[in-house]
Amino acid sequence: MIIKHPLLGPRDAAEFVYLGDASMIDRPNPNAPDAKEQFYEYGYLRDNPAGEHKELWYHEQGDRSWLVVTRNTITHEVKYVQLARDVARAKGRDR
Amino acid sequence: MAKFSLQPTPFLGGFQKDYGTVIIKEITDRAITSLALPLGFEAKAEKAIKTVLKLNLPEVGMSTQSKDGTTALLRLGKDQLFCLKNGENDGYTAHKALADKFGDNIYTTDQSDVWVSLTLSGPDSLRALERVCPIDLHPDRFGVGALARTAMEHLGTIIHRNSVAEYTLMSASSSAGSFLHAIKTSIDNVL
Repeated sequence: MIIKHPLLGPRDAAEFVYLGDASMIDRPNPNAPDAKEQFYEYGYLRDNPAGEHKELWYHEQGDRSWLVVTRNTITHEVKYVQLARDVARAKGRDR
Repeated sequence: MAKFSLQPTPFLGGFQKDYGTVIIKEITDRAITSLALPLGFEAKAEKAIKTVLKLNLPEVGMSTQSKDGTTALLRLGKDQLFCLKNGENDGYTAHKALADKFGDNIYTTDQSDVWVSLTLSGPDSLRALERVCPIDLHPDRFGVGALARTAMEHLGTIIHRNSVAEYTLMSASSSAGSFLHAIKTSIDNVL
């Protein structure tokens, strides 16, 4: 499988480490009134879609960047790849 | 009490081998300092690089060097660079000089003892790397000055194209012997 790194171009998937669902970027607010339920969901509950899935991949044998890879879990087609920091900033995070 | 005098030795003993159309040579006189751009202060860091090194910040995956060739800057990632000081044996002193000049504008780490560096030169150097390097090294995709951090035979490697027929390979000094073996095997397979 080839992952097209947004900065470095096409790289073999063997250079990366897979972490899991990209929803882990959305860490809940610990001060929210329902923080307990939110963290339970954040920590344990995952969707397992047959189709398009957003995932966190770490470029360990590359530039050590975190990526959000949008991949089809049935065909393994990688639809697009973004830097995780850009995704987080687009959601209003400062870093 | 016995007096000891310790002499630094290169990781591969200054290895050099001429295969006819490919020459491998260990680089033994180069100081390496890692530079990290502080998050949120990238513009300030870029200005400091210009002031201290008189070099522009290259794009990710590219390098730049001073006119006399003594200083090179390799941009490995968005916020990570290596500053190479050619002809410098003393990594500690080279790092300290840079750290003092950069101050708080850039985070620096001495990496001279971390990497073993080899140059591969000669008309068959591209062929020699074809089987061991997963990066597309075609000159249209990986021109002079380009670099990539990747893996060769599972060993993390930085490959840098110095000229049309010369590459520098850097890998962990702790596995220098295994890395040299992997490169020599790759050469033996194609020549």
